[in-house]
Amino acid sequence: MSIAWLAPEPSYRSYLQVRSLISMLIIAAILITSYFTGVYPKNVVPLWIAGLAWTLLTLFFSLFFASRRFLFTAYARTNEGVHLKQGALFRRIRAVPLNRIQHVEYKQSFLERLFGIARLAMYTAGSGGADLTIPGLLPDTAMQLKTELLTTIANEPDEGESNHE
Amino acid sequence: MSELTWQRTPLITIAFFLFKQLKQLVTNISNLIPAFAAIFVIGKDSVWVLFGLAGAYLLYVIISAVLTQRFFLYAIADDAVHLRTGIFNRKHLTLNYERIQQAEIHQVWYFRPFKLTVLSVDSAGSAGKEVQIPGLKMELAQDLRQRMLAESVSPSGQRQESAAADTKEDAARITKHFPVAEIIRAGIIDNKLFVLLAVLIYPISQLDLLEDYVVPWVQQHLAWFNSESAWIIGAGIAVGSLAVLFLAAIAVSLLTYHDLTLTIEGERFQAKSGALSIRTLSFRYPKLQAVYVRRNLRARLLQRSVVTVSQLQPRAAQGGNPAAQQFTLPVVDAAFFAEFREQLRLPPAAEVNWQRLSPLALLGSSLWLALLAPVIATLLFFAAESGWPGIAATLAGWILMQTMVVLSWRNYGYSFVSRTTTPAEQWFVVRRGIFSRNENWYPRRKVQQIDVQQGPWLRLLGFSHLILHTAAGSETLRYLPSENAQSLQQQWVDEIAKNSHRWM
Repeated sequence: MSIAWLAPEPSYRSYLQVRSLISMLIIAAILITSYFTGVYPKNVVPLWIAGLAWTLLTLFFSLFFASRRFLFTAYARTNEGVHLKQGALFRRIRAVPLNRIQHVEYKQSFLERLFGIARLAMYTAGSGGADLTIPGLLPDTAMQLKTELLTTIANEPDEGESNHE
Repeated sequence: MSELTWQRTPLITIAFFLFKQLKQLVTNISNLIPAFAAIFVIGKDSVWVLFGLAGAYLLYVIISAVLTQRFFLYAIADDAVHLRTGIFNRKHLTLNYERIQQAEIHQVWYFRPFKLTVLSVDSAGSAGKEVQIPGLKMELAQDLRQRMLAESVSPSGQRQESAAADTKEDAARITKHFPVAEIIRAGIIDNKLFVLLAVLIYPISQLDLLEDYVVPWVQQHLAWFNSESAWIIGAGIAVGSLAVLFLAAIAVSLLTYHDLTLTIEGERFQAKSGALSIRTLSFRYPKLQAVYVRRNLRARLLQRSVVTVSQLQPRAAQGGNPAAQQFTLPVVDAAFFAEFREQLRLPPAAEVNWQRLSPLALLGSSLWLALLAPVIATLLFFAAESGWPGIAATLAGWILMQTMVVLSWRNYGYSFVSRTTTPAEQWFVVRRGIFSRNENWYPRRKVQQIDVQQGPWLRLLGFSHLILHTAAGSETLRYLPSENAQSLQQQWVDEIAKNSHRWM
């Protein structure tokens, strides 16, 4: 039985690129400040080498790595559970059976709001924090999925149904 | 909801709150070390600051214990316990019996003359609250525990069915008493001395305690003493103190596990033990999330195992620190283990078909070792100028590490087994250990989420790790063929989703 994987919104790719660009800009800011305050070891690593390395890393992360990460991100909702594929280098496929979901959370950061996307986090009683977070969803899709999941969970034909809140 | 009758705990419970505060101080003492350092710097000239602070702390502890007792109210309803606590921040806590994972009745030594107990219960929920009600009368505490662990109030028919099962199984009540000889074995198996030794050896070797202090002192006081026999005496003292520590560890387990009695009544498991303070831990089978079987080298020589049963522990799972109280049988011999397995619904040992790891799993760590060893040898030879002994030591270290890697690979195993006799239960089990043999058993239907993970190295070899997150912690099945791991993941998700039995 194969799973029907769904890709996140295309704007999720731009979101990932902008996010990695922002982290690289922060590193650049630190480098520049250290250069002007004299902390930067000019004699050991000349500035042009650092600049070149920064540019290459920025190009690599923002262009190549972010889109690769986007390509490998996919989610699926089957009758039994929610699945999520993630990771460009370290791949991970996570599966949560529907009747183990404890609560569902809709999340949207400032940056995500600019790109018009949102995340949906699902929590189980298993170890570790946020258990399954689907990124790059349209806010409407996310809300719809959330309501749909919650109704499914609430209507489970479960003898211990009072135990799942 | 009917009227709640709020009750206050007896006055003696002030002592309980006092001890709780002091215990908190002891556990937090490492965090306070910077503060202590500051105090000592200030208090160098004026000793009264130290005494003042200590006195103020003591006064604070006493006053807060008295006030905590005054403001501690509890009420017992049919389906829940209500607590109202807090001096300034009032807290009202309602704990439903249904959510309780395990209950513990602790007859603390200073409560025993008054025939009072402390009742602690662990509840489920993300905060993983542990609730303690001190100063309950024994009968009341037992009655309360009975009610908490009774069949939970589930809709209609279900209740009768399980009640019937309960009465039927009452006949099959099992009581096991552990004699003193077994408890001494438990003390040897669970001897913290070996951990202590490993921690202590390094600082002791750095201190030169023997040469700087002990030898001069001995020479001063015993004129006939020459420095040659000082070493023998020193070694004698070291061995003697280790023996004392060893015996002390056994004494501790004799005190905590004195008169250990296990009672299994239907689905209810109960362990009672203790010489000074008597602890009674109980839980119901449906709350079980994991069974750990530990056999370290000493246990293997003594042919015993340590069996721990774990319930839902969000706090332990997140913080990584084991919960305060776990249902543990510290020494189980083979004959009783077979019986206990039956009670825990584990399949017999002979039915477990252990799956081994692929030899390719050895490749990664072996490669690292093989790369690292020449580097260290070169560094030692040229930079540290250690000569041939350095290279020989590296070689020996390399062989040792490689043997450990191979041993841990050889002893690793996993299996998916089901018990066929009713009540059936499906499990997955992971076995690991270098010199020890540890088995972790988890009920398969209680898995919370399943991951398939694959890094670049694993992708190259065509393997994946399968990580199973349960409510009692995570377990990794390493180096499964990728397709195998993914189909297992799907298969298990389907299986769990179709299983509508309660999991907690």
